[in-house]
Amino acid sequence: MALTGLQIYKLLPASSTKPEVKAHANCKECGYPTCLAFAMKLAAKQAELSLCPYVEEESKRQLEESAAPPIRLITIAGSAKKLEVGNELVLYRHEKTFYHPPGLFVRVKDTQPDAAQVAEAVAAYSVDYVGMSLTLDGVAVEAAGGDFASTVAAVKAACPFPLILMTSDPATAEAGLKAAQGTMPLLWAADAQNWQAMAKLAAQYKVPLVVLANGDLNALADLAEQVKNAGVEDIVLDPGTRGYADSLAIFTQLRRLALKKNERKVGYPLIAFAGDDATLAAQHIAKYAGFIVLDRFDPAMVYPLIVLRANLFTDPQKPIQVLPGVYEINKPGPSDPLMITTNFSITYFSVANEVESSGLPGWLLVADAEGMSVLTAWAAGKFDAERIAKTVKTTGIEQKINHKRLIIPGHVAVLLGEIEEELPGWEINVGPREAVDLPNYLKTRWG
Amino acid sequence: MVEVPTGTLIVEAVHQAGLDLNIPCGGQGRCGRCAVIVDNRRAVRSRSELRLSQEDLAAGYVLACQTVLEGDVTVTIPPQEKIERRLVTDRTATRVTLPFSYDPKRDQPMQLVPLTIDPPTMDDQTDDWSRLKRAMALNYGISDLTIDLATLRKLGTTLREADWSVTAVVELDTWDRPNGPARLVDLIAGQNVAHLWGAAVDVGTTTVSLYLVDLLRGEVVARAAEYNAQIKRGEDVISRIIYASRNGNLQEMQALVVDTINEVLERACGRAGIRPWEIYKMTVAGNSTMIHLLLGLPANSIRLEPFITTINQPPPVQAAQLGIAIHPQAHVDCLPGVASYVGADIPAGVLGSQMCDSKSVALFLDIGTNGEMVLGDCDWLVSCACSAGPAFEGAGVRDGMRATVGAIEEVWINGQTYEPTYRVIPDPQLEAQGKPTLPKGICGSGLISLLAEMFVTGVVDKAGNLNFDLGSPRIRYGEHGPEYVVAWGNETAHGRDIVITKVDIDNLIRAKAAIYAGFTVMARSVGIDLSTVERVLVGGSFGQYVNVEKAIQIGLLPDLPWEKFHFLGNTSLKGALFALLNREFRRHLTTIAQKMTYLELSADNTFYEAFTSALFLPHTDLSHFPSVAEILAARRTTQSSHFIQGGRPDVHHR
Amino acid sequence: MPGIEVPKEKWSGKVREVTLGATAAEGGTRSRTVTVGGETTLPFLKFEGEIPHPPAIALEVRDQQPNDWPSILLEAWNGATQDVAEWAKAAEAAGADLVALRFNASEQLNAAYARKILRRVLSATGLPLIVFGAGQADLDNEILVAVAEEGKGERLVLGVCEEKNYRTIVAAALAHGHLVDARTPMDVNLSKQLTILIHDMGMPLERIITDPTTGALGYGIEYGYSVMERLRIAALQGDTMTQQPMLVTPGEEAWRTKEARAAEGVPAAWGDYVERAINWEVLTASTLIQSGADIVVLRHPKSLQRVRAMINALMS
Repeated sequence: MALTGLQIYKLLPASSTKPEVKAHANCKECGYPTCLAFAMKLAAKQAELSLCPYVEEESKRQLEESAAPPIRLITIAGSAKKLEVGNELVLYRHEKTFYHPPGLFVRVKDTQPDAAQVAEAVAAYSVDYVGMSLTLDGVAVEAAGGDFASTVAAVKAACPFPLILMTSDPATAEAGLKAAQGTMPLLWAADAQNWQAMAKLAAQYKVPLVVLANGDLNALADLAEQVKNAGVEDIVLDPGTRGYADSLAIFTQLRRLALKKNERKVGYPLIAFAGDDATLAAQHIAKYAGFIVLDRFDPAMVYPLIVLRANLFTDPQKPIQVLPGVYEINKPGPSDPLMITTNFSITYFSVANEVESSGLPGWLLVADAEGMSVLTAWAAGKFDAERIAKTVKTTGIEQKINHKRLIIPGHVAVLLGEIEEELPGWEINVGPREAVDLPNYLKTRWG
Repeated sequence: MVEVPTGTLIVEAVHQAGLDLNIPCGGQGRCGRCAVIVDNRRAVRSRSELRLSQEDLAAGYVLACQTVLEGDVTVTIPPQEKIERRLVTDRTATRVTLPFSYDPKRDQPMQLVPLTIDPPTMDDQTDDWSRLKRAMALNYGISDLTIDLATLRKLGTTLREADWSVTAVVELDTWDRPNGPARLVDLIAGQNVAHLWGAAVDVGTTTVSLYLVDLLRGEVVARAAEYNAQIKRGEDVISRIIYASRNGNLQEMQALVVDTINEVLERACGRAGIRPWEIYKMTVAGNSTMIHLLLGLPANSIRLEPFITTINQPPPVQAAQLGIAIHPQAHVDCLPGVASYVGADIPAGVLGSQMCDSKSVALFLDIGTNGEMVLGDCDWLVSCACSAGPAFEGAGVRDGMRATVGAIEEVWINGQTYEPTYRVIPDPQLEAQGKPTLPKGICGSGLISLLAEMFVTGVVDKAGNLNFDLGSPRIRYGEHGPEYVVAWGNETAHGRDIVITKVDIDNLIRAKAAIYAGFTVMARSVGIDLSTVERVLVGGSFGQYVNVEKAIQIGLLPDLPWEKFHFLGNTSLKGALFALLNREFRRHLTTIAQKMTYLELSADNTFYEAFTSALFLPHTDLSHFPSVAEILAARRTTQSSHFIQGGRPDVHHR
Repeated sequence: MPGIEVPKEKWSGKVREVTLGATAAEGGTRSRTVTVGGETTLPFLKFEGEIPHPPAIALEVRDQQPNDWPSILLEAWNGATQDVAEWAKAAEAAGADLVALRFNASEQLNAAYARKILRRVLSATGLPLIVFGAGQADLDNEILVAVAEEGKGERLVLGVCEEKNYRTIVAAALAHGHLVDARTPMDVNLSKQLTILIHDMGMPLERIITDPTTGALGYGIEYGYSVMERLRIAALQGDTMTQQPMLVTPGEEAWRTKEARAAEGVPAAWGDYVERAINWEVLTASTLIQSGADIVVLRHPKSLQRVRAMINALMS
């Protein structure tokens, strides 16, 4: 179980009863100003215990135990790309964050003549979302009575992403593993019948192995335990559910067992099969899958899923920001007022809502102030004349309006002169300090 | 009459004319306090008219800090805009209790050493300095004595004039050199020296306070206080840092605070009948920005990420280097700070309040424009700081003012009629004549009191919105939106209504939310439940005025039993005093500053989360404020019943 | 070896049951009512608690055909968008549980006009109604007071009430037996605060619906998602001021995005326009339902079908 900062502090040199250890209290050698500051960083998992050479052995043992990840980190790799999943710490993203986005895979069958083309399309797929280039993560090759080994080889050649090899026949699996050599695929799956042979293969080829049960928690846990005892450390769980309700229930239970009950037997990532149902895949993104296999490659379905995954796996501890840029309120025309504010979401919303509900049209420029409110950003030097001028010049607002007047928040009236210097030819107006006074200001002062 | 180039700001011209003009917002055109009247509007150009009404403009008002001169013009400074002065404490010393027994031989690094030195002869041609050192070593075992050039220059003369019978003023050690060497600070003729003086100073953002101390007896013999002259360059530390970072302004800021220190020094010395240069040691507590500006260090990195000071533990410097009017070779010892926004005032306060001597968890709050807080016990201490804004000091509020003569300092509102009564800080002269002092505005404690009363009587809802359904003529729409009239024009000193606007209310709620969020986040980050806090120590000059009940009602202070609150007054000044008297205390201060863990609240959004939940009266989660919940429940019952006997439910005396 | 026990949370709280609409027997004219809420666990976790009512789906109709909806969205309604009564009928036929009537900001919008439109919608459909103003404080206060009077007894949901402007609408809803939609900008505390303020005016908690707002997929959905998840967890932990059922408007948010509006000039990686646009609305709605939404307001009839299929699967 995770310890709090203060609990960890009690195990560090500052709290030691041994004088020779206590001598290193707050020594700063770890790079933090005090033992308590270091303890809080450890608790937040933002520092490594090894930075402190003076921790007593017994304390070290306790700390390492508490720091062991409740869900094992699993890595698979293709010829040029790897994927890590697991190591999650929370049930709800607001509690900290979701760390490793689930891998999105497209399934092909070895009977499918265009398997390599699909794999190529998967590899080529890339979409730009707020400046990030997002991709799929790999291809699942399913043995369906065709030539598994050569399909695996063809897919591997066509797609440098990790593979999932899907077969319950150990001989087929071994052929596939041989064909996939040079990469680290995920092997699906060991079940009640074949687990010994599959575990042997996984150990021999050093690949992670999926353990499959049919919707039964205990059967799944026991099988995973047996596979582990057979020498396979890297395990992925497939509870066998394929629908909405059954998956939601058992995926939630498995996540809770690992995180809240510290149940090591099921402390592994989960794999889900969503068929061609985008809505089901979306459920798996939100509710705890580590790998999601789709039956079809369709950009119109993949794009929203990739974006959803990017959204839910952002860090919620960061201040809520809106994208800097030009926002149009009430369909403004070229002669309508231009206002500027910062990209802290609450600041943006208060300004935008006031103007919007007044019915007055206007252009709202949002400057990148690193998510701070106007006053905070001003105090921290993140909303100064230079940034304001840059926002005006780089957002293309000058092409949308036919005037050169800018309303700045009353709180930064002090910046007036400097902005005038940075933006020659512009008339800078000092607006009200509070958003609530904006409608009245626009009615009486703009014209 | 003064001649200036075209384009000069009025504020500068006024300055050159040798007059004082208050610019609390630092000349940013934000506060409107520098309004002056010009007789020829065509001879000036204003870039901002913020805070001026149409009537003001018609009457010729302009903002001196936002208006440049372009022709001949007569500028009139309205009398009410003169910086009002009020001495926080202007009496001779009352006894200050020390938390330790004082033994100057044991505790005090400053010593008076009477010396009788053998005069030189032809047989013994040892130089004067070696001669003095020899006597010192022989008689007192001090063998490592050092001397500065300035002292050396007068050594020979003094020895001869005093006929080789002198008193040495010696500093045995400093905090950064605990084993010496000892330093000869001064040499006084004769051996009848009966006094050794020191001074302890608190350089506050708003007020500079000083104790004059008898180092032989460990007693405060006089005290004095004065507003920090830097106020005219900005009310909050951020405004001052920005002002100081502009070309050449750092020296001006350094000079302003030194002038203030010298002024209080002069006054305290006058009362004790001594002269400032008889003082041989000064300790100074203050927030990091104040210490930086005093030392003339650039402060800009304090406000910029990642918020770094030049130094948290400055070495002792000689008074002459700073321009402080005590003995030129005397050390000025600035007490250690923790981080950019947790300065020396905090360790000083913590040690002064003895919160780190106990096993039980205590919370120390220093409530001011910059709220600073510490949580911990004898094993651990965490600190944080948050910006509350100047509302609690009466600034940034329409009819706000400092706690000076004419300020409304307490308000009561009738729960049926919604009519207020209030108490004004009296003018002693009027009081002596039996005349009432008319109100001019509302100070911080008055604002807290007013907001609490408006809330418990239902004049505002939990979000601070005024309730127009009550039908009171005092609740109305003014120039800045909804407002409540505290005093009608015919009761006030200036004939204008004194009001609190919705914008003011929002400012106050934000200020109290920032403080509350600060200590709740701090407590949560170390896993401490606030209800387990044994003592809440409230420091800062704010702590002398605040009414704990009202502060709880608005959700500024946690809802704990009243006996847990301890108001300590100016802990920072006390810390400076103890450090001046006791080298162990001074050393302990450094240890505490080093072991205190500073939490940077801007690092993540848990602070913002706690802040929004505190942006409500008293708090979004009423279960944290059971005593307030009780009052609200009582009000509902009383208001819905018809047995009201006049007066509102008795919430004043639980 | 002892078996693993199914890990169940022992929640102490319960989401309040709220009924929208009133039949003739209850003083209204609706052919049926819709009840939402009543959950004693997180969405669809039937292994540990009760989910007595499925989330309800409302379809949005406007008093006039809006001029800012993309053509694929208007076309999906086969001309019914030309007339509000036809549109409401079509929404009912498309399988909606509720009709969300929203007024466009226009010259003709006033109290009398709003009354007329409300009467036409009430007679066109038997479904319970949600009525949203045009989003301008003064105008909304005028028309919603009229709507409240005109629809007396119908248990309408009147919206939106915001912190800056709630008193008039709440008073009107109180006087005429309606419910209110309490909207706050994606913040747990603000949401709770508004519920408290409205409740302090005397509005029973059984007549308040929480509207925590959301961003669309790709435009801040994660904030809406987490705010709703946190509100629901607080409700189940027993915080009475967060136990209102939650309403969000994924349709409005999704159809505002470039992904749902731009047929051309976008990357090929975005895929087929119509399919992508509908997926955008569906995934926005389905994800929010997974985090606790009790009512979603949608725009495209096909989106309704897909979201309905998901709800049915999760309730089975």
